[in-house]
Amino acid sequence: MTDVILSAKNLVKRFPTGKANSFVNAVNGVDLKIRRGQVLGMVGESGSGKSTIGRTILRLTDPTSGEINFAGQDITKLSPGKIRPMRKDMQMVFQDPWSALNPRMKVGDLIAEPLKIHFKMRGSECVDHTEHLAKRVNLSVDFLNRTPNALSGGQLQRVCIARAIATNPKLIVLDEPTSSLDLSVRAGILELLQEIRDETQAGFLFISHDLGTIKLISDEIAVLYLGRVVEQMPKEKLFEAPSHPYSQALLSAHLPSDPNEKLNKFTLAGEIPSPINLPSGCAFHQRCPVAIEDCKTSVPKNEIISQGHFASCAQIAHGKNIIQRDS
Amino acid sequence: MTLLSVSNLKTHFIFRDIDNQFREAKALNKVSLSLDAGRILGIVGETGAGKSLTAQSICGLLRPPAKIVGGTIQFDGQDLLSLSEDELNKVRGADISMVVQNPRSSLDPLTRIGDQLVRIHQTHTGGPIKTSRRKAIEMMEAVGFSDPEQRKNAWPHELSGGMAQRVLIAMALMNEPKLLIADEPTTGLDVTVQAQILDLLKDLVSQFNMATMIITHDLGIVAHYCDEVAVMFAGEIIEQGSVQDVFLSSAHPYTQSLLASTPEKLRLGSKATVTRSPPDLFNLPQGCLSQDRCEISTELCKTTPPFQKISRLHSARCHFANSKETQSKVNMEVDIEGSRKTPND
Amino acid sequence: MHRTIIEKKPLLTRALNRFRGISRLSPTATAGVIIILFFAVLAIFSTAFMPHDPVSSYTDRILKPPSADHWFGTDGNGMDVFSRVIYGAKFGFGIAIPAVILSVVIGIPIGLIAGFRGGMLDEVLMRFFDGLRVFPSIILALAVVAATGQSLINVILVLGVLDSPVFARVVRSEVLALRNSIFVESAIAAGNPTWRILFVHLLPNSIQGAMAQTAVRAAWAVRISATLAFLGVGIQAPTPEWGAMIRQGAEFMITGQWWVAIFPGVALIFLVFGLNLFGDGIQDILDPRRRVEK
Repeated sequence: MTDVILSAKNLVKRFPTGKANSFVNAVNGVDLKIRRGQVLGMVGESGSGKSTIGRTILRLTDPTSGEINFAGQDITKLSPGKIRPMRKDMQMVFQDPWSALNPRMKVGDLIAEPLKIHFKMRGSECVDHTEHLAKRVNLSVDFLNRTPNALSGGQLQRVCIARAIATNPKLIVLDEPTSSLDLSVRAGILELLQEIRDETQAGFLFISHDLGTIKLISDEIAVLYLGRVVEQMPKEKLFEAPSHPYSQALLSAHLPSDPNEKLNKFTLAGEIPSPINLPSGCAFHQRCPVAIEDCKTSVPKNEIISQGHFASCAQIAHGKNIIQRDS
Repeated sequence: MTLLSVSNLKTHFIFRDIDNQFREAKALNKVSLSLDAGRILGIVGETGAGKSLTAQSICGLLRPPAKIVGGTIQFDGQDLLSLSEDELNKVRGADISMVVQNPRSSLDPLTRIGDQLVRIHQTHTGGPIKTSRRKAIEMMEAVGFSDPEQRKNAWPHELSGGMAQRVLIAMALMNEPKLLIADEPTTGLDVTVQAQILDLLKDLVSQFNMATMIITHDLGIVAHYCDEVAVMFAGEIIEQGSVQDVFLSSAHPYTQSLLASTPEKLRLGSKATVTRSPPDLFNLPQGCLSQDRCEISTELCKTTPPFQKISRLHSARCHFANSKETQSKVNMEVDIEGSRKTPND
Repeated sequence: MHRTIIEKKPLLTRALNRFRGISRLSPTATAGVIIILFFAVLAIFSTAFMPHDPVSSYTDRILKPPSADHWFGTDGNGMDVFSRVIYGAKFGFGIAIPAVILSVVIGIPIGLIAGFRGGMLDEVLMRFFDGLRVFPSIILALAVVAATGQSLINVILVLGVLDSPVFARVVRSEVLALRNSIFVESAIAAGNPTWRILFVHLLPNSIQGAMAQTAVRAAWAVRISATLAFLGVGIQAPTPEWGAMIRQGAEFMITGQWWVAIFPGVALIFLVFGLNLFGDGIQDILDPRRRVEK
C-alpha cells in the first residue's frame, strides 16, 4: 500500500453569497486520499466543486468543516503563517497560464521564486538551478530572460510546471492544466507530468472536465456532482463500466474523434442545479432517468462494486442503475 | 445549390508598430471554401489558425488594423465585398447570422430576452409587432424553453450559460437566415449541456435547411455533427472534404498529427514531443507553411504546395498528399491505440 | 529553421523612429513632453539664457517697458523680468518634483497595504484621507506654512503630504482589482510572504495609474506653490519665483505696467498646461484599448 500523502475527511466548503442565510454549497462532504506516486483524477462539470476542493486541500481557502491531513499532520486549522513554509511541499498548477504568472516579472525570476523563498538561494546557484528546471520541462533557456507575453500557451504552462516542481513538492494539485491549451500541445504537457510523477513520486490531484484527458493521466478517478463524490473507480472502469447514472451521462455526452464510433447517447434533461439551492436527498435525482422515491429524501450511501470501485446510488442495490440508451 | 463561395480570401493585419515600422501579419492566406444549403461545415484548427477571422471576414465584422486585401465572397449570388456598409447590414443578422462563444456577453444586459428577440426581428423583417412577438415565442419554444410566455421576461443575467446560448440561437434564427455561422458555440459550456445544444442545432439546421458553419477546436464535435470539414493552419485551409474522408483517410501530415493527439489516440510515453512555437504570421516561410514542423518535409516543400485532389470532394495542400508514404510514415511515429472499448451497453 | 535577418539601423534613426511611433500613439503626450522639456532646459541651463542677473537691480531702470535690452521689461526693483522668468523655471521644477516624489513615497505604500489588507485598516486610512481632501488645499497649506515658517522646504513638505491621498487612492483601487487575480493566488500558493506579494507582485502591476498621475499632480504642485507665493506665503520677493513675481506685479497692473505680472503668468500657464497635456497623453498610451491606426 503506497503512502497516503494527503487525506481529507468529510470536507465541506460553503461561500456566503451576501444574502442572509444563503450560501454557495461548493463542497458537501468529500473524502479523498492522494497517494505518493499516484494520480487521483477528479472529473466534474460546473458546480461540482472540483476546483474548490483543490484550493481547500492546499489551504488557499479555509474549509468550513472537515479534516485535512498532509504528510501525517492535521493542517485543517493551522494559521497562514504556519502553512506558508509547508508550501514547499505542496504546490499548484493553474488552468490559465497567462493569468497565473505575474506579467511584469521575467520568466526566470518566476521559476526561481520558490527557490528564493524556501531555500534562500541566490546568485549563480540560483541561476544554475533555474536553468536546470527549464531544461527539465523542455523549455529553452533563451526564454528565461523574457516576460510571459513573449511565450505561447504551452511554453507558459511549462513555466508554471517548472515553478511548481522547483522545491520538489510531495503533493501537486493541477487544476485543468491542459484545458486552455491547443490539442497538439496537450500531449507534451501530459507526458511531462507523467515523467515528473514517476521521477519525484509526488502525489497528483488532477482536476479536469475532459474524460479523455482524465483517463489518460489518472490512476484512479473520482466523479463529482454538486460537491459530492458520486463514484470513484480505477481508471479503466470509467469508459468500461461506469456505475453511477451521472457517470454514465458524462460518458454518453463525450464525443470521440472517430466519426464512425456510435454514440450511446441518452439525453439528460435540464441543467445542473445551482449550488445555492441544493436539491434534497441525492443531488442528481431531478435529472436522473432511474430515480426512485427514496432518492428525493435520502443521500445514498456508498455501494462497493469491486476493489477500489464504489458509487453512491440507491439503485445499485436493486441492480437498476444502468441506463438504457436511445438508439 | 451553393450558397456561399469564398475564393482566395486574404485578410491581413497592417499597422505601424511602436518603432514606426510597417508591420503586416498575413492572418488569412488564400482561403477558399464553399457551402451548400442544409450542409454543416466544420472549421477546425488551433489558436491562430484563422478560424474566427474567416467568419468575421465573411460577415464584414473586421476592425482595423485587420483588412481584407484580396479574394471574393459570393453569397446567394451577391459579392459581399462589393456591398456598402448599409447593404451589408441588411444581410447580416437576416440572411447571415452568427452565434458566438460566451453567450452572456453577447446579450444586451439591460433588455429582457423576449424584447431582444422582437427587436432583431423588427430590424430586419419589420411588420407588425404582434407578429414579431408571436415569432419570438415560437423560437423560444423551438430552442427548448419550456415556458416561453413566462421566460420571455427574464433578464440575461438570470440565465445559465446553456440557456443564454439557446437565446442566442433563437436570436440568430428569428429572421430565418440562409447561412448560420456558429463560432465555438459550446466552448465553456458543460459537456452535458453541449450535447443538448448541438442536438438542437442539428435539428434546426434540417428544419430550416440552413447552410451552417461550425467553428471549433474540438474534433469530437466535428466528427459527430458536421458533414464536411476544413482544417486550418496559419491562415490557410490545408485539408478539406467530407468528415469520413478527412478523419478516416486524412492526407495531410498536420491533420494526421491533430487526430493523433486526441486523448483516445494518445499513448503516453510513445515519443518525446517537442515544444513548437506557433507560426509567426509576420514572417511566414516561403512555400508550405507547415514545413518547419512537419516530419516529412523536404526541399520540395520550399515551393508552395498545390491543392491535391484525393477524391471528388477531398483535397489537401501537400506535395505528398497522394502518396502512400504520408499515411504510413506519420502513423508510425505515434502509437495508435486499437479500437476503443465500447462502453457498457 | 526559417528566419529572416533584420539589419539594425543606426541608433539615431532607431531613436527617431521610436519617437515617431510614440507620437503617433499620443500627440497630446508628445506636445506635453516638448513643453516640459523646453522649461526643463531653461531651468537647468538658465545661466546660458539669462542676459542679466536675476536679482541685481538697475536702480535707474525701474518699471521700464519691454525693449531691446530688457525683452520683458523691468520690475519695480529695476530687475530684468526676462531673466527672472527664466530663473523662475527652477522653482517650478524644484518644488514640483520633490513634492510629487514625497506624495508618491507616502501614498503608494499606504494604498498598497490598505487595498490588500482591507478591513479596519483600510477604513481608517481612507476616512483619514477623505478628511484631508475635504479641506480646501490652499487654506490648509496657508495655515501650515504660516505656522511652521516661511521656507521652501516647508512648502514642499506641505504639498507632498497634501497630495499623497491621490496616489494612495489610485494604487488602492488597482490593488483591489488585482488582489483576487490568479497570479496573486499563484504567488500565495508558491509560499510568498506578504511583503513580497505587496512589493514584488502587486506594486509593479498597480503602479501605472499612479505614474500617469505624477505629471498631473506636478502641475497641481506648480500651481499651488505659485498661488501660495502670490498670497504672500512661502517664497517672497526678491526671489524670482513666478508666484511671487505675479504678486509684486499685480499692483502695477492698474497703473499700466502689465509686463511685470503677465510674463511670469504666461510662463506659469504654459508649464502647467504642458504637464497636464503630458499626463493626459500618458493615459492614452497606457489604456489597453487604444485604437491602433493603419
